[in-house]
Amino acid sequence: MARRRAVAAVLSAATALSFSVACGTTSENSGQSQDSGGNAKECGGPDGKYTIGMSQANVAEPYRQRMDDDIKAAAEKVPQFSVEFADAQQDNAKQVSDVENFLTKQIDLLIISPNEATPLTSVVAKAYNKGIPVIVLDRKVDGDAYTTWIGADNVEIGRTAGEYVAKELLPDGGKVGEIRGLAGATPAKERGDGFREGIKGKNIEIVQSVDGDWLREKGQSQADALFKAHPDIQVLYAHNDPMAEGAYLAAKAAGIEKNMKFIGIDGLPIPSGGLKAVEQGRLSATLIYPTAGKEAVDTAKKLLVDCQDVPKEQTLETELITIDNAATVYNEANS
Amino acid sequence: MTSEVTTKDTGSEPAPPPRKGRSRTDFVSALFRFQSLFGLVAVFVVAVVFSPRHNGELLFLNADNLANVVRAVSEIGIIAVGMTFVILVGGIDLSVGAVLGLAAVGSAVLMVNDGSGVFVTVVLVLLIGLFFGFLQGIASALFGIQAFIVTLAGMQIARGLARIWSGGQGVAIAYGDDAGEAPVAFSLLGERTFNGLVPIPALIFAVVAIVAIVFLRTTAFARHVYAIGGNEKAARLSGVPVIRVKVIVFCICGFLAALAGIVHAGQLNQGSPNDGFGYELDAIAAVVIGGTSLMGGRGSVVGTVAGALLLGVLNNFLGLHGVDPNVQLLVKGLVIVAAAGLQRLRPTAA
Repeated sequence: MARRRAVAAVLSAATALSFSVACGTTSENSGQSQDSGGNAKECGGPDGKYTIGMSQANVAEPYRQRMDDDIKAAAEKVPQFSVEFADAQQDNAKQVSDVENFLTKQIDLLIISPNEATPLTSVVAKAYNKGIPVIVLDRKVDGDAYTTWIGADNVEIGRTAGEYVAKELLPDGGKVGEIRGLAGATPAKERGDGFREGIKGKNIEIVQSVDGDWLREKGQSQADALFKAHPDIQVLYAHNDPMAEGAYLAAKAAGIEKNMKFIGIDGLPIPSGGLKAVEQGRLSATLIYPTAGKEAVDTAKKLLVDCQDVPKEQTLETELITIDNAATVYNEANS
Repeated sequence: MTSEVTTKDTGSEPAPPPRKGRSRTDFVSALFRFQSLFGLVAVFVVAVVFSPRHNGELLFLNADNLANVVRAVSEIGIIAVGMTFVILVGGIDLSVGAVLGLAAVGSAVLMVNDGSGVFVTVVLVLLIGLFFGFLQGIASALFGIQAFIVTLAGMQIARGLARIWSGGQGVAIAYGDDAGEAPVAFSLLGERTFNGLVPIPALIFAVVAIVAIVFLRTTAFARHVYAIGGNEKAARLSGVPVIRVKVIVFCICGFLAALAGIVHAGQLNQGSPNDGFGYELDAIAAVVIGGTSLMGGRGSVVGTVAGALLLGVLNNFLGLHGVDPNVQLLVKGLVIVAAAGLQRLRPTAA
């Protein structure tokens, strides 16, 4: 009997505690930390030593490994900088922890390519409101609590791809199959919308769109089904190079790869990347999607060493790659 | 199961003093019973001693950092408490990560798309978790299908439901009073803290753990749980309502997984069908490190809490030192193997 009373007492104490917590909380965001923006810290100038934290979404993706490599290479040229890298392996909660650990270690500047926008927004804002400059790469966060965003215009990229198809590949019209990137990611929507703008008004029809989720294997299996349903596709437009290569393999397995042209996006200057694929004839074209790694370090230098301001958005140029310039661009990028 | 009552014969000679060997066994037994607490203390000490420094301050002991550690373990901790119950009766629940995802999606969709209030949303989502656990309990306890299989299927079903309910992508949660925005009260689970320092999810974890610890120490139901885990046949023959206890235990586990999902949605301001992927393995790891036997019948929530905190401290320590995440996985695996191995060395109860 006494035991039951004890249990009841503890349970009611626990409930009371929970309710008191609900009423007695203070918010960490309650106005005190709103005052400082990216400029709150005094600019250290060329005499200081700076630690930069780079929080990457998923190093397993070749594009993101290249982004980290570009940052590392650019930072080595700046003697005041040392960069630490973290990889969230596509887990939002882990990326939040990565950024929090950087804040604990009191980094001087944060570069981040967020896995998804909404889950990372508040921790990025936390860093920004502490006076730490924040550079966001490629994918965006919500709101505007960051110093600058650097990336390429995915709509423009899609449009350029569409115009290339309309002018060069299917000047008399024809059928196109599309393999899209991950449904929830903004680049997929933008690359799809841009492409449709590029082919507007011409006699070109997108017979079917499938989801490849940015992955080569998925691109291949989806392309298999796509080609079976529509064997008369003339152009295959994939939102990135790995999916385009997967589609090429699917077509080859069915023996129809000579009947169609393949277009991808990214154009990474690595042996397994899009530039080589165009050079070797598997893809007809790709579009460079810059990693923004070098530009990120340049911006960091402007902010920390040169004490300058930077624009809120920096949009990078893309370039259409065909067999004519693939080899040249590849060699330039790797020099 | 040793009796706690010792009879005292009046008038007979006093019991002989315990021999030296016997007390050493007791001491070693005690060491093993609290292996997870010793482990936690050991890892904590290592983290402090080898902590990176900045301007003379030990970064590991920084108040914000410690708050981050407890906040990061809260969700896995809540799930692990429920998992302890299931493992104690000799079962397992592989669906908890998927149920967390389902609950996170449900919270987001109900508030953002359907405009429900916080209270209604929380109650509904918790009931969904509880009901999901109920179904799994019935399938395994009443129909005799192995818990591993039932919950493996449950994992797939919950993921599928989460995908359907969310429309295949994450549902973002913005706060405000307009349509399509969630009530501001829900953001309590996010950045806010009690006393400006203790994160709300950590408080929820603490309350859940305390209630579970007291529950497992004092109630008759708890004795049934241990009895079934120790020897199910004997328990049934002694009149323990095995099926009812097992179903209730799965209900508890599903309920707590849903609670963790609600916290997750509040933390990340999003409910995505991929949330909680792999969390079941982390929860099982915490339970195993805590000294609970996967065979059932032996273990405690105290151990689980220590196990979860141990993993949290370890993750934080490795993260502060910038250790490659793949190496972190390796270390975690080694710790689990070591903890399970220690259990084998344990002197078995009389």
